[in-house]
Amino acid sequence: MADKAILYDATKCTACRGCQVACKQWNENDEYIPPPSDPNGVPASNWGSYENPPDLSPQTWLKIRFTEIEAGGKVRWLFTRQACMHCTDAACVRVCPNGSLYHHELGFVAYNKDTCTGCGYCIDACPFNVPRSTRNIVTGIAKMDKCTFCTTQGLDRIAEGWEPACVKTCPTGALKYGDRDGLVAEGKKRVQTLQAAGWTNANLYGENELGGLHVLYVLDDYPAIYGLPVSPQISAATIAWKDVIQPVGWAVGGLTVIGLGMNWLVARANAKKEAK
Amino acid sequence: MAETFGRGAMTNHWNDIANADVMMAIGSNPAENHPAAFGHIMVAKERGAKLISVDPRFTRTSSKADIYCPLRSGTDIAFINGMIKYVIDDIHANPQNYNMTYITEYTNAAHLINPGYKGPGELNGLFSGYNDEKRSYDKSTWQYQLDENGIPKRDKTLQDPNCVFQILRRHVSRYTPEMVSSITGCPVDTFLLAVQTYAASGAVGKSGTIMYAMGTTQHTYGTQNIRAYGILQLLLDNIGITGGGINAMRGESNVQGSTDHCLLSHILPGYLGVPRNTDTSLDAYLKRLTPTTKDPNSANWWGNYSKYIVSLLKAWYGNAATKDNDFGFHYLPKVQSGANYTHIALFEAMDKEIIKGLMVWGQNPAVGGPDANLERRAMDNLDWMVVADIWHTETANFWKRPGANPADIKTEVFLLPAVGSFEKEGSVTNSGRWMQWRYKAADGPGEAMDDLWMLDQIARRLIKLYADEGGPSADSLAKLWWNYGADHPDVHAVAKEINGYDLTTGKLLPSFGGLKDDGTTSSGNWLYCASYTEDGNMAARRDPTPGPFNVGLYPKWSWCWPVNRRIIYNRASVDLNGEPWDKEHPVIWWQYQGAEKWVGDVPDGGWPPINVDPKATRWPFIMKPEGFARIFGFGRADGPLPEHYEPWESPVENAMSGQQINPAVTVWRPEEQGDRAKYPIVCSTYRLSEHWQSGQMTRNMPWVIEAQPEPFCEMSEELAREKGIANGDRVIVESARGKVEVVALVTKRFKPFQMNGRKVHQVGVIWHWGFIGLSKGDSANVLTPHVGDPNTTIPEYKAFLVNVRKA
Amino acid sequence: MTHHEVEKYRKPIRVLHWIHSGAFVLLFLTGLILFIPGLGFLAEDSWTRVIHRIGAAIFVIIPIIYLVINPRSVGRGLKLAFTWSKDDIGWLKAAPRYYFLGDESSMPPQGEMNTGQKMWWFIVVVFGVLFVITGVIMAFAKESAPPAVLQWMVFIHDVSFIVSGAMLFVHIYLGVFHPLMTDAWSAITGGKVSAEYAKKHHGKWYAEVSKGKEEA
Repeated sequence: MADKAILYDATKCTACRGCQVACKQWNENDEYIPPPSDPNGVPASNWGSYENPPDLSPQTWLKIRFTEIEAGGKVRWLFTRQACMHCTDAACVRVCPNGSLYHHELGFVAYNKDTCTGCGYCIDACPFNVPRSTRNIVTGIAKMDKCTFCTTQGLDRIAEGWEPACVKTCPTGALKYGDRDGLVAEGKKRVQTLQAAGWTNANLYGENELGGLHVLYVLDDYPAIYGLPVSPQISAATIAWKDVIQPVGWAVGGLTVIGLGMNWLVARANAKKEAK
Repeated sequence: MAETFGRGAMTNHWNDIANADVMMAIGSNPAENHPAAFGHIMVAKERGAKLISVDPRFTRTSSKADIYCPLRSGTDIAFINGMIKYVIDDIHANPQNYNMTYITEYTNAAHLINPGYKGPGELNGLFSGYNDEKRSYDKSTWQYQLDENGIPKRDKTLQDPNCVFQILRRHVSRYTPEMVSSITGCPVDTFLLAVQTYAASGAVGKSGTIMYAMGTTQHTYGTQNIRAYGILQLLLDNIGITGGGINAMRGESNVQGSTDHCLLSHILPGYLGVPRNTDTSLDAYLKRLTPTTKDPNSANWWGNYSKYIVSLLKAWYGNAATKDNDFGFHYLPKVQSGANYTHIALFEAMDKEIIKGLMVWGQNPAVGGPDANLERRAMDNLDWMVVADIWHTETANFWKRPGANPADIKTEVFLLPAVGSFEKEGSVTNSGRWMQWRYKAADGPGEAMDDLWMLDQIARRLIKLYADEGGPSADSLAKLWWNYGADHPDVHAVAKEINGYDLTTGKLLPSFGGLKDDGTTSSGNWLYCASYTEDGNMAARRDPTPGPFNVGLYPKWSWCWPVNRRIIYNRASVDLNGEPWDKEHPVIWWQYQGAEKWVGDVPDGGWPPINVDPKATRWPFIMKPEGFARIFGFGRADGPLPEHYEPWESPVENAMSGQQINPAVTVWRPEEQGDRAKYPIVCSTYRLSEHWQSGQMTRNMPWVIEAQPEPFCEMSEELAREKGIANGDRVIVESARGKVEVVALVTKRFKPFQMNGRKVHQVGVIWHWGFIGLSKGDSANVLTPHVGDPNTTIPEYKAFLVNVRKA
Repeated sequence: MTHHEVEKYRKPIRVLHWIHSGAFVLLFLTGLILFIPGLGFLAEDSWTRVIHRIGAAIFVIIPIIYLVINPRSVGRGLKLAFTWSKDDIGWLKAAPRYYFLGDESSMPPQGEMNTGQKMWWFIVVVFGVLFVITGVIMAFAKESAPPAVLQWMVFIHDVSFIVSGAMLFVHIYLGVFHPLMTDAWSAITGGKVSAEYAKKHHGKWYAEVSKGKEEA
């Protein structure tokens, strides 16, 4: 089956936060403020920005980042979608000890929260700093949460043939859902249009990064300006651990067991011989 | 817009914005406040259209714009008059780049004005005919010169010094780019870039649209702001065409519907005038209001006034309205001639204990009204108040507000819990005049009921009380024909009544063309005649066929007024032969082969084009008595042409003239005017995408509160540095009327205005918050003044003076 | 054969050994569950992490208690881990023939810990410390430390697991299964080995110990 993806066009996004709220509503995630039982109102506060909540969290799987820059006397206000990038070469899937994170048949990184061990390896491995976790510092009991591409158990929109909640809500068409190949082509066309209009640094982010992301970004400027990592890689530590040490460990363990087994057979035979 | 074109509504519609070649968002922030519409803007942009954002600060709309023009709050007229000057100068230099036929034949540019007319250039900011004492104008010198047949004289060469074009030219000659820059604070080169880009839409076949909202209207010259846009658009042949128009983006989803059905103090449904005590008879009323023309080519559609008022009276009073009793005209309450019954005036009357009872439907003046502390105090004087709303509001709880002692307040407050819009059936009319039927999706909670049921209950009881007990003007209610169902009123019956019936046959009328003034027809709102016919509920149609010429007309999706005409004034979208100016994106097109008729959108009158039949034709702006769009608009209270005045509270003297503020403005509370030495900073109030109006709904929704948790004051980095304020600090913003404590949001998106060497700071405060709800905060309207536009009295929420300090 | 027995390990040491190694087994198994994907399901809902932390607490606290009770013994023991000489090379050379074929001829006399046991002890000390440091950082600095640091902590913890795990197999095998290590089990359970065993396997140590006894 052909991979599906989301195309996010930062040049069409007006940061209305419809997607942020739709994601929460659909996935039944709480807000970042105390529940409505407080008769004195909610002591939520603005820390000096439109960007609320200020970070992803186990209850906030998707948010918009606001960046004000001033270049050449012109002010720009850039908006970026911040959520799981659903990588093809997903570091989180590599390091997950029990396959709670796995690749859906349509290509994105799906997630079974029930089996999550709370180890947090995915949090440290993700080049985009996406997964977040609840964690009890004493007992170590923890659970991770991230965007599931709307395949959350019991709330699976993709299985019904629907687009993710964020895509459905977007009023300006900044978010689209469809076959990845088609969206890559559409994204490239849009980049061409932007370049022709004078945005010489326009680019399609996510086409080839990490084997290809399933959330593609149309940007009118360098990814770094939008807060996206340039050439994100799976970290050396992940590779050393998963691709080097892990097989070495099996080898060492296996060889040891075999060696000991051989030793036992030989030594026992010898001991019998001596006894005779 | 009614002054300029004939109807007070968005000339095009939402989807049509995608057809524009250039778009200007001024006095509006569609990315934040009309996010669904922004999708159409993006479609236009993807086709190569340019977006210009003109705003005191760089907004989310500006972030998507090709050109951003900073503009000090309250200086739109200077900006637009500057653009008009550029266009007029360019018309002289490069007339081939403009549509001179459109200007000459469809607008009143060629019309001659009374030679006694003098403008602000000659009268130091005033127009001829000003009465200082009354603060109003005698408009006799503003009228057309008439020929011997009583038809306005025209000079189609546009050279006569008394023709509107030359008057306009003299008027705007004072608005040079340097003058514009010194008033608005917009740098000259940015201004010129914006003008050149926008003026390109004046070419034949090119379209430009202006999108405006509260940033335009909420000033003491809000109406003139809109007039300026109208003049500019007429010079650029942008009215009546696809992708053009003045797209007034209403501030709420059904405001268009509410004004259509007369929830304004000066009108009856269908924009008919409210009767005055000086209208001694129906004839006197009609004489006052029905425009006349001697021009046989002017359709003067308002000439049908009598048909609409009589049909309305028949709808309301049924058989109690007959020829013998002026069709029940005297049952209608009459207002005092010259009195003001708008929001500000009502609260002034409450403050003076003249008004003792108040019904509040889905509105929250304690947060949304200007001079909030005054308005809350005024409500203390009420004997009773009824509030119908879905949530508890600050208005319903005004007697418990911080600082009030409930024991001192004697008002009896009745709460009527209402259902939300998805919990009842009915229609909503959007800014594009589309009446869209909505169904009931869910039951409301508890005892909440819909407004229709509440009104029906109140009306039936009042009717019975007055019928049984009599009383002053008892017949106004007792004689009403009121029967919409025994239990829950049938909303379809209401919709049908609004459409209207042929009373002789009992059949629904197919259009307002069938309305009569002899008492044989009824219609609750002539504009909506054709919305519910014998063919069914037109507003409920959901056929998504794009329609003729594939320009997004969607003629079978819902129904729009008038008579499903999607782009109004579309007779101006063709040349004198009926051929569209833009053949790739036409609206209507005269068919010469076969049956000679118009194809495309519903034409704004089916008469043939001007050259095809000069006798049978009609001029394109049929709602104006003369049939031409008014560049020179002599119906306005404050002048026939827009002139720059400063807001009631301004940091500077008016650079254009000695007339500091709009000379026709009523000043209720001169003592509340802030001294600019004490309050040197310009302040505006505005909204966020994430919250809705006075916040009843959104400040009770946790996910939305999370996205925007607290009211804030946006200010420039320069101002913050001067005041020692860091981003995220709590600050006090204070005006002559009150103060609020909010969070400071220090941003690059506000910059001080450089005006003629002087630095003027501006800040903005979000106004969604109040003292009730899950998320509470100070109400920005505590700062705003109790003063408004002389034509509409819409309050000046957008430009006043404050000072800011760290809390 | 005589049944004369010698005390190899006193009670405190044996208690320390069993508690500590019990904790280590808990740690090892719960860690192994993360190493083998097929067993990962046992780690669901953080169960094995909680057990791992309990094991870790014991693993850290028990040696600290012992250190407080008997610092001299701890000092002496640690010194053993880091005392290496030419004799150890002799063991290395002789070990394959000895352990496979039972050929003792070239095996030099061993001290209280033979070279192999010293190697194991070294690994226990060094990697034990590494386990604890990396483990503490992963447990308590999970939200404060930079992700790259945490990833390298996992790496080091994993390397430690592989090395000490493999050596653990060897240790258990030699202690329980190897045909020649007849008294190794009783040494660490009852604490005693036969004199013969002591002479053969830890000749140098036996000589010192019995000398002392003779002198006494």
